[in-house]
Amino acid sequence: MQGHQHQEEGEVKEEPSPESAFEKSPFQLTAEDVYDISYLVGREILKISSEPQGEVPTRVAQLQFKIVRILEMLEALVNESNLTVEELKMERDNLRKEVEGLRKEGPPGNAEQLSLGPDKMIIDLTDPNRPRFTLQELRDVLQERNQLKAQLLITQEELQCYKSGIISQREDQAGPMEKESTVCSPSGSSKSNEEKTIIKRLFSFKYGKRI
Amino acid sequence: MWLGGWNVSNSCYGHTVACGAAGVAENLLHQLLHVSGLIETDWIWTMKSSLMHLIPPVSRDRIISHFPKWYTPEACLQFKDHFHALVRSACQQRNTGTVGLKISKVVVVGDLYVGKTSLINRFCKDIFDRDYKATIGVDFEIERFEIAGVPYNLQIWDTAGQEKFKCIASAYYRGAEVIITVFDLADIQTLEHTKQWLEDALRENEPGSSFIFLVGTKKDLVSGAACERTELDAIRFANEMQAEYWSVSAKTGENVKEFFSRVAALAFEQSMLKELEKSNGRMAQIGAGNLIKIEGNSLETPESNSQASLNCC
Repeated sequence: MQGHQHQEEGEVKEEPSPESAFEKSPFQLTAEDVYDISYLVGREILKISSEPQGEVPTRVAQLQFKIVRILEMLEALVNESNLTVEELKMERDNLRKEVEGLRKEGPPGNAEQLSLGPDKMIIDLTDPNRPRFTLQELRDVLQERNQLKAQLLITQEELQCYKSGIISQREDQAGPMEKESTVCSPSGSSKSNEEKTIIKRLFSFKYGKRI
Repeated sequence: MWLGGWNVSNSCYGHTVACGAAGVAENLLHQLLHVSGLIETDWIWTMKSSLMHLIPPVSRDRIISHFPKWYTPEACLQFKDHFHALVRSACQQRNTGTVGLKISKVVVVGDLYVGKTSLINRFCKDIFDRDYKATIGVDFEIERFEIAGVPYNLQIWDTAGQEKFKCIASAYYRGAEVIITVFDLADIQTLEHTKQWLEDALRENEPGSSFIFLVGTKKDLVSGAACERTELDAIRFANEMQAEYWSVSAKTGENVKEFFSRVAALAFEQSMLKELEKSNGRMAQIGAGNLIKIEGNSLETPESNSQASLNCC
């Protein structure tokens, strides 16, 4: 480090001399090195024009070596640069594909679901046909369907009775029936209220027919 | 409506029935709906009880007066070609107790796409739809018969064959007087699966309490020779399953009516015998009071059925 301070070019601190730039690997060159090279080449050219004619061939030969070295470094850098560009392009394309894939798979949260066990299932929330009802809900719906079907069968047979004249203007059944219809809903839930109204509607339909 | 009026002393069901039958009908309807899991609330049967006095006449092709014959003697539940003597005399004397009010539960099981729904639809609605539409969970049909002069009903439960519905459908296996296991004559694998289906259905029922049928469907799709070959296997299966074997085609209707008539007659006779056995015991105790006896009997059934839970899985 002390040797540096005694050098003529005091401003260049880290370089032992401008010449060393030529010895470096082209991949380790800095902008500073390029300025050094430029300075050295410039100095050579000045010497050629200012020194006596006899010296010129040796000067030119020296300069030639330097220029060849510079061109070699440039060649190495260009090749290296082209390779890097190719590699980067490929990497860019791969990343682009990966991003598109992730976007298609859906919103964030996938990272957690990737650790699902064998009996688990991933549900795509954007799929309109995705499963969304529970088994119990299906059971309830079937139960209700069965009730309605039973009702339909009853009504169809009743209709058949009316058509074939089996039911005629008989005893007034309105009294007991109405009583039953209000007694028969055990729970006070909204569901039973709904049922009551359905029954009422059915009854009123029947009354309408009878009266 | 399917229930009332059968203790009328003649076969003209169009008549209104004496009061006192209301309790019977209510109980029976209650039983019908509960045993099958049709409903859990009581409102349907309350509504229905007001109508139970009336039954429209049964259609002509549902009248069974002679005991329907088996399909093959190599796999049949019984060889008799007439009703049991006790049943016959009871029917003649109209001393049928609550049997006439009874509904027998039939459960149809088997692989998906073997044609369970098609079989039922051919019989109950006389239609055939070529397109496959998976049954969701369960469905049911009620078919009214007049057997030996007595009204009788089959409640036919159509179950989903798809695995994913099994735990829903199996909740409806309970209390089946008849279990029909169905396979596709053109798909031998479905025959092999019938044993598992039967096992599942039997698990929900008292041992020996159900008639078992093995039915090969789509007879129209297989050649005579292929059908005969498959039938040999099926008959072997049927014997192992203690089942009666039938080959049918829902598309052409071949053997469908005959098959269900056989089912109805066997179930009817069985119900009658059970009922007569019960009422004989009862008569010895309390005498022969007709209406009292009927009410006593019908009260008993809902209780035993109420134990059936609908839990599954």
